[in-house]
Amino acid sequence: MTRDVVKVYRMGDTEVRALDGVDVTIRTGEYISIMGPSGSGKTTLFNAIGGLMKPTSGNVFIDEIDVAQLDANELAWLRCRKIGYIFQSYNIVKVMTALENVTLPMLFGGVPPDEAQDRAVEILERVGLGDRLLHTPKELSGGQQQRVAIARAFANNPAIILADEPTANLDIHTGEEIISLMKEMNRERGVTVICSTHDHKMLDISDRIVWMRDGKVQKIARRDEVDIEINTMKDKG
Amino acid sequence: MSTASSSAQPTPTPTPRANAQSTWDIGQLKLSPEVVASMAVNSLRQRISRAILTLLTISTATAFMMYLLTMPRSTDPVDVQSWRLMMVLSLVVSGAGVLNTMLMSVTQRYREIGTMKCLGALDSFILYSVLLEAAILGLIGAIAGAIFGLVISILLAMADHGGNVFAAMELEGIGGKFLFVFFVGMALTTLGALFPAFIASKMPPMEAMRGEK
Repeated sequence: MTRDVVKVYRMGDTEVRALDGVDVTIRTGEYISIMGPSGSGKTTLFNAIGGLMKPTSGNVFIDEIDVAQLDANELAWLRCRKIGYIFQSYNIVKVMTALENVTLPMLFGGVPPDEAQDRAVEILERVGLGDRLLHTPKELSGGQQQRVAIARAFANNPAIILADEPTANLDIHTGEEIISLMKEMNRERGVTVICSTHDHKMLDISDRIVWMRDGKVQKIARRDEVDIEINTMKDKG
Repeated sequence: MSTASSSAQPTPTPTPRANAQSTWDIGQLKLSPEVVASMAVNSLRQRISRAILTLLTISTATAFMMYLLTMPRSTDPVDVQSWRLMMVLSLVVSGAGVLNTMLMSVTQRYREIGTMKCLGALDSFILYSVLLEAAILGLIGAIAGAIFGLVISILLAMADHGGNVFAAMELEGIGGKFLFVFFVGMALTTLGALFPAFIASKMPPMEAMRGEK
């Protein structure tokens, strides 16, 4: 899915290689966790996959389509119909209700308003916010806001969900709920989920885990391999 | 700037690509004027207090201009001179005020605009909905301001000249003056929104979301 992606940022005279030759292949329907310390390039990789920025060199392919070749309108289409974003800070539009927030991507995608509304109600009920449809973000808790964000990300039935540290601002219990909700949606809808995290509980439900460091992929492992490793770490520790 | 009815589904127009053996084709998004309009109106309703504040700025500015244009004037060269100065000042002050208000109201929403772009909003969608919002505010504000200015002008003239106000006032070509004031108010509002809206619509989504310029 990504091929030798390099992103170079220039800060004054110093070059920062935020991504330094990242090569990852992600299969449809997989649940991938990306681990790595802050500044390891997780978010930059996300932005490259999501078509939010162009890599300095290298290509990102989504289903054989080279994202770098798309024009502005096609990128908007990709973001609208094929990719769902979930952010650490939720990024719910503050002045809109939960329902309006979830309707938004469907309206951008050309779904008629009535149908968009019905679908938004349905999906908000699915994430457990059926009784919070007309609440604005300030009347919702962090966990509830993140549920709205998840509903919004899934609204257009995307192929890929990109979640950038979705549980970082939540307490442990709420974080677990959000993680299992994302896993359920991943199973139900066959959506590829790519999720960056510091949270070791996330590993348990992932199909594969990618470790990143200094803009490079350090290691990719399947879940069954990882469990052993956490144990050995504990033993040593 | 393609237009489409609100019911138009984004039809996946297959784009020929060198190595596209994909299971799906990249489509094009279409801009629906109805969605733009409803978004602009909703946004005004959701931020009603800010909208009222902006309206006040616009209508105060236009009211002052209207007052200056219609108030009774003496032909004393010194008075004419100071009237001209007042007119120029009123244009500059109201222009700066309206521009600043519009600039603020758009820059405050960079984060929201960035989020919308991540959700697939077209650049043109951002641009048009912000401009439409400004135009609605400009329309209401300029009309209200022009009427308000005229009323103030009449009331002040009454206080000075008693019953004979309309003879003393500069009411010749009142229609033209009204149009001029209205046009200036509208233009200032829309121009004030045009620049930040253009910047915001062209900004990469992630940068917009961080709230940077």
